[in-house]
Amino acid sequence: MVSALERLDAGASDAEAAFQMDESAFRIFYDRTARPVWAYLARMTGDPRLADDLLQEAYYRFLRARVAHENDAHQRNYLFRIATNLVRDLRRRPHADETSISGAADAADPRAGDVAAAAVRRVDLSRAMTRLKPRERDLLWLAYAQGSSHDEIAAALGLKTSSIKMLLFRARQRLAALLRETDR
Amino acid sequence: MIECGREADVFEAVAFGRWPSHAAPELQAHVAGCPICRDLLAVAAAMQDDRRRLIRAAEPPTAAIVWWRATIRARAEAAHAAMRPMTMWQAVAGTCVAALTAAIAAGVWRSGIAGSAAADLVARLAISRAGSPLAGFGIEHALLVLAGVVACIVLAPIALYFALADD
Repeated sequence: MVSALERLDAGASDAEAAFQMDESAFRIFYDRTARPVWAYLARMTGDPRLADDLLQEAYYRFLRARVAHENDAHQRNYLFRIATNLVRDLRRRPHADETSISGAADAADPRAGDVAAAAVRRVDLSRAMTRLKPRERDLLWLAYAQGSSHDEIAAALGLKTSSIKMLLFRARQRLAALLRETDR
Repeated sequence: MIECGREADVFEAVAFGRWPSHAAPELQAHVAGCPICRDLLAVAAAMQDDRRRLIRAAEPPTAAIVWWRATIRARAEAAHAAMRPMTMWQAVAGTCVAALTAAIAAGVWRSGIAGSAAADLVARLAISRAGSPLAGFGIEHALLVLAGVVACIVLAPIALYFALADD
């Protein structure tokens, strides 16, 4: 007779078999990617707690997706694509608060008051970001915070690579103008 | 013009923390005179600063916790998926029972004996079909069948509700 414990173990291994990598590979991948993904989610949602939840969801979807990754960069881009979709789904919800972007994520930094100039710049950026379209925010973050290439951005956002240059140029111009405006 | 050939150099200097103190004077002079690179510098510097701060402040759960939660959820989803065919069959069976009882009730109603008392109704049915297999049916048995039919009518919607509630 199969004991309850054996059944539980079998259930656990069945669940793990549904994942695209084993635990040790996951730990390495997670340690390399969790902080940048969390930072992206926190900046896009403005809510560190929500970023925690979305982080969990992003990794779950990543593990369940049976995708053959060509290399580490592809794996990382795929994770960012999932994160981007989660943020997009969140924005589509009826009561998603677009203005919360500047809120809690800024308050979470214990060293926020250390350098006055940097703090002012952060507030300016947060304010300016709220006035951008969600897609512009995604584009700018991936390009200038993450340092992703146009191909990687296109893959993450589901856009054509050929359109990234123009979209990025416009978004950058807008954000730069907003930053200048807040400087005055 | 939407791009400048020095964009990559400017971004690299910002991303690797070389701007402005360790950037080449020639690059600094270029940025001062190039509106595209000026915009890039303003945006990239603000973004990089923001990212560094967020990454420093980030306290994501450990890999072990994320992995453990994922396995729990995968297990729950697997169990739910395994239960789904069973729930479907329960719903089908419940629907069949409900349809059958409804058909019997309609047949009885149409035969014009719905108005009389339940016991008389079944007894008359048994007596009138003396030659049929129902001939040996006593009133007690007929009452039991009637009780069963009534129970089905009452219980079928409840069973259906519980079978489908999970989905």
